[in-house]
Amino acid sequence: MRWLDRISLRLRSLLHRRSADAELDSELDFHLQREIAARVSAGMPPAEARQAALREFGGVEELKEECRDTRQTNYIHDFAQDVRYALRMIRKSPAFSSVIILTLALGIGANTAIFSMVDSLLLRPLPARDPNQLVVLAFRQGQGPLLTQFSAADLRDIRAQASGAFSDMLGHMLAFDGVSLYGKADRAVSEYVTGNFFSLLGMRPYAGRFFLPSEGKILGADPITVLSYGYWKSRFASDPEIIGKRILVNAHPCTVVGIAPREFRGLYPAPVAQLYFPFGMLGTFEAGWPKDLMTNRILQNLYILGRLRPGVSLATAQAELNVVARRLSEEYPETNKGMTLSLYAERFARPDPSTAGILIRSAALFLGLVGLVLLLACANIANLLLVRATGRAREMAVRAALGAARNRLVRQLLTESILLALFGGIAGLFLGMLASDGVGSIDLHAPIPVQLVSGFDWRIFVYTFAAALFTGVFIGLIPALRASRTSISATLHESGRAIAGGKNRVRTGLVILQVAGSLTLLVIAGLFTRSLGAVQHTSLGFDPHNVVDFTMDPSEIGYNETQGLAFYKSLLDRVRALPGIQSASLNSSIPMSNYLNNDYLKISDYPVPPGQGLPLVGYAVVSPQFFETMHIPILRGRSFTEADAKGASYVAVVSQVFAARYWPNQNPIGKRFAKVSGITNPVYEVVGVAKDCHFNDLTSTIDPYFYLPLGQNYALSSLEVLQVRSTAPPDLVICEAQDVARSLAPNLPVFDIHTMMESLDTLQGFLLFRLAAGLAAALGLLGLTLAIVGVYGVISYSVSQRTHEIGIRMALGAQRAEVLQMILRQGFVIVAAGLALGCLSAFAAARLISNMLIGVSAADPATYSAVTLILALVALAACYVPARRAMRVDPMVALRYE
Amino acid sequence: MGKPTDLVQGTLDLLILRTIALEPMHGWGIAQRIQFVSKNALQVRQGALYPALHRLEQQGWIRAEWGDSDNHRRAKFYSLTRAGRKYLEKEQANWERLSSAIGLVLDAAQS
Repeated sequence: MRWLDRISLRLRSLLHRRSADAELDSELDFHLQREIAARVSAGMPPAEARQAALREFGGVEELKEECRDTRQTNYIHDFAQDVRYALRMIRKSPAFSSVIILTLALGIGANTAIFSMVDSLLLRPLPARDPNQLVVLAFRQGQGPLLTQFSAADLRDIRAQASGAFSDMLGHMLAFDGVSLYGKADRAVSEYVTGNFFSLLGMRPYAGRFFLPSEGKILGADPITVLSYGYWKSRFASDPEIIGKRILVNAHPCTVVGIAPREFRGLYPAPVAQLYFPFGMLGTFEAGWPKDLMTNRILQNLYILGRLRPGVSLATAQAELNVVARRLSEEYPETNKGMTLSLYAERFARPDPSTAGILIRSAALFLGLVGLVLLLACANIANLLLVRATGRAREMAVRAALGAARNRLVRQLLTESILLALFGGIAGLFLGMLASDGVGSIDLHAPIPVQLVSGFDWRIFVYTFAAALFTGVFIGLIPALRASRTSISATLHESGRAIAGGKNRVRTGLVILQVAGSLTLLVIAGLFTRSLGAVQHTSLGFDPHNVVDFTMDPSEIGYNETQGLAFYKSLLDRVRALPGIQSASLNSSIPMSNYLNNDYLKISDYPVPPGQGLPLVGYAVVSPQFFETMHIPILRGRSFTEADAKGASYVAVVSQVFAARYWPNQNPIGKRFAKVSGITNPVYEVVGVAKDCHFNDLTSTIDPYFYLPLGQNYALSSLEVLQVRSTAPPDLVICEAQDVARSLAPNLPVFDIHTMMESLDTLQGFLLFRLAAGLAAALGLLGLTLAIVGVYGVISYSVSQRTHEIGIRMALGAQRAEVLQMILRQGFVIVAAGLALGCLSAFAAARLISNMLIGVSAADPATYSAVTLILALVALAACYVPARRAMRVDPMVALRYE
Repeated sequence: MGKPTDLVQGTLDLLILRTIALEPMHGWGIAQRIQFVSKNALQVRQGALYPALHRLEQQGWIRAEWGDSDNHRRAKFYSLTRAGRKYLEKEQANWERLSSAIGLVLDAAQS
């Protein structure tokens, strides 16, 4: 019952505040009247009695306040009052308020944009049931690299043997297939998945049904597909009758059975899968897969996602996997020797466990940089508010004199700044949405649809709100503490101008921090720009200039090997005959794309070191003239010719590193090696050695690589990139070459048509550097602007405060040049301190990102001196404007002022 | 603004609760009663009474009602709630324990 009483009391004092106050008045009044009456009846004259009673009673107003304080609902009233007051202050100076809100909107908006990117790439869980139970598996063979693609047989065994910790495991692989409906062919990103894919994730189909766990186990048994929601919408125009319809996948019939839910974009954080097939259909839909796809342990192409049983920890699951790995490597020494398994929480294994670190590091870097921008914005606004606080010192002193407690004043000022920050946050949220839409529409030049930002969710709102709240406290606290500390009598007695002096220390400190912060941002931007320049001028080993790429795959329209080879031959002949063409050739992969071929090799005269598996080596299937088109020098032996066709002996060209690593100090020409996972695995004889090239990425060391002639290896890759080197403008080449392809095979989709420089602009190529340089530069400019405004503000404020002093100095004979010098010196000290501090913090920040830089050291003197010089010049220019104003001060006017 | 010390505050609360345990009383009456019963030994600063009353009310130990006083003016009468009565018993026992303990110490020091 007691709590009921208490609640009704609180409600009363909250809702009926006025009547509660009236009651208090009459209660105290009753007491006084009784006291007076008692004294009068004891013989005191009324007037005296009244005075005595009042004296005894004490300060009535103070008592009332004390009584009201017991109500414990005061803070709500105070808060409402503060908010009303703050809104009035914001309305009263709209220009001032909008400058603050706009600055904050920029700072918070930049944060929201970056965070929404990080959120959708790293933080957002898969739209699956209990996403925390999902883990990604990886393995190592001996001391080899961390690999994430398993053979179907390994998946089957691991799933069966690790059922103690895992409730289920699924396998999936990404591929490209030609999909046609009503005769119109088109390329799509597909996922080949085990039958339990959707049931493990725990999703409900948007329409139709998902695969059954039994489907996908037998080769060619289940010609069915589940469409992604987005693909159904874009490719099939949301056809409501799509379920049960038949489409052609690489010219093989296939029935649509279901549509995946709208929010599911596939298991990869960025590439978006468009349709799903049972894994068993891989060998049917795509040519080149051996018949023992399900049992061959060499064919490693499935990513494994497992679901832990409830309450099972990663460590427990790891222990169980260790046992399984040992058993597998004993049972299948041929393929699994020295295998160790590891697992990662799905969210920390994006895009895959071996590269997740890079993504997380870049995310941390950019969140840090954009946080710095917000700090700079905060420093600016704190400065503005400090100026205003000085103007309001009188108001605060009057309030304090009237009995406002100090924490009450602080609270009121903080309410004001937090309210401003929240307005800024709302505006920032909108700006951030616009910016992340912009980021989302960046063309990643990836051969697959990639989504960097996928809509807003609650995390972004929470983040933005937290940023705004932090900002509000940060910008308000110093001015609030400062304003509430002012000595009442000093402020009320002196004129407003007299309290300038030492007060500028905090503001100067803030400006020094701003200069330092923007120098840090600019140095990072400079380092990334230099890296971009360095990678663009790195010797790639091949010459990407004046080359246009076209990708196509004749098997997508059902061509067999003979038809495909004939098509490619006439394509090359006709394209080479076009005007301006220097050479044209085919290559199975575009450098720096995610689509590269590799296989395990058995190499003659190369004993595999103990504890290691067979070497995994990347390769390309190319046509004659490839080395000429790419300007890759052949160092020994010969390149491919038309004679390297079916029937002739199998040949290969290897890279320098290949030869040096596997046959050190030997003549590689005439050596032999074989792949292990093809349908047939012929022994290739090395006929040439080519110069090393950067094919996988720009950063890592160059790995061994080899080339096979298309004429003998069509089955390995019917997908080829036509590469045309021409002196003609690229647009013309694109037009003409497309015409040729269309006249040869009207239905064949030709995609990823780019100049080679453009197609190098991928995640593995220049793109990250370009994005990083661009983003850092944008943030750096934003920081620079804020710092300039800060420097200008503090100097011109100090000039206006010192007008009187300057007037006296000039009246006493100071020259204008000396005044100019004096103000400039003041600015110079601030800027120099900021630059010195900035160099230190920039160096610390650059050290953190040193492994993201290429061709430039974290302490690159050129970057530091250039940035410092630019910043110093711009900052001094910002000082010069108010300094000139100081120089023009008319001593007579200045002295008469006030 | 000198706040009463804990001992004084606690004591005042105890005195108020004990005083209104018999019948509902208004503030002035409480002050008079404390003074009278303690034979003028305890002078309650009249002003300090009201914040204490309001606090006790907020805590739910006492409840206030408006009623007619003996001179026909409306006054606010305070009475104990059930919870307040229990609280009073506990506090009174505490107080007695404390004062007898102090008494013991003082006696021992004397002999």
